[in-house]
Amino acid sequence: VPVMTSDDERLLLKDAAGGDPDALETLMRRYSGRVYRLAYGITRNPADAEEIVQDVFLQMVRKGADFEGRAALASWIHRVTTNVALNKRRGKRREVETSLDDCLPTYEADGHRAGPRAYLVADWSARPDDELLSGETRRVLEDAIDRLPGHYRAVLILRDVEELSNEEVALTVGDSVPAVKTRLHRARMALREILTRRLGPPPC
Amino acid sequence: MLTCHDVIDVLDDHLDGALAPEDAAALERHLAGCEPCRAYLATYRKTRALGAQAARLEMPDEMLTRLRRFLRERVG
Repeated sequence: VPVMTSDDERLLLKDAAGGDPDALETLMRRYSGRVYRLAYGITRNPADAEEIVQDVFLQMVRKGADFEGRAALASWIHRVTTNVALNKRRGKRREVETSLDDCLPTYEADGHRAGPRAYLVADWSARPDDELLSGETRRVLEDAIDRLPGHYRAVLILRDVEELSNEEVALTVGDSVPAVKTRLHRARMALREILTRRLGPPPC
Repeated sequence: MLTCHDVIDVLDDHLDGALAPEDAAALERHLAGCEPCRAYLATYRKTRALGAQAARLEMPDEMLTRLRRFLRERVG
């Protein structure tokens, strides 16, 4: 992808708003993957994600050349996609979402983690990614992600896939940096716990 | 002396390199003597990476085709 200046990007958006097929194509090639990943990552539903992609692109093109360059466009895309996706979920929150409390570490009074030692020292991290990301383990991971509330998935994707800073994620979702950090950490602890229950030795 | 609870609370900051040097040093001292926390850190770090990899999806080609049609019908 060639480096674009703000002027190039503005011109592209202006042409796309006028219906220029090449400009629309360039915008789609450049940004549809990002919008889809975020929309799917939050809703976990391909049909919902597709509607969101269409909605976000239509809004983007109608906004035309109002964006002040590429950085402004990218943060607009993150913000609008996140909001549209979270609102879509709100209408049809699924039963699978459960409290994360069951999946957070517990501690003894002295601050040591509670639980059988074989479970506490279980370390499956050296297993190859090919194995962890396929078959039954992949299914466990996907189920675990499904169980997270949508606004937890939103911060995970923005941080780990879109590679925004904690500050940028906070601006995108309209929360404080400490709230974003807490949510990220709780989401990661819960996913880790679910994977370890499946991959480590049994907890009793 | 840090407890396991203290260590787990700051793992994200640790992985981001955001801890003050003296806090990072205290964390390393705890890790050196605590096998459960070493296992926790290793699996936590791996979880972060796996979650990101699992989320790196491509939009299906047929959706791109439908998006193109959708926009051409409405824009211009």
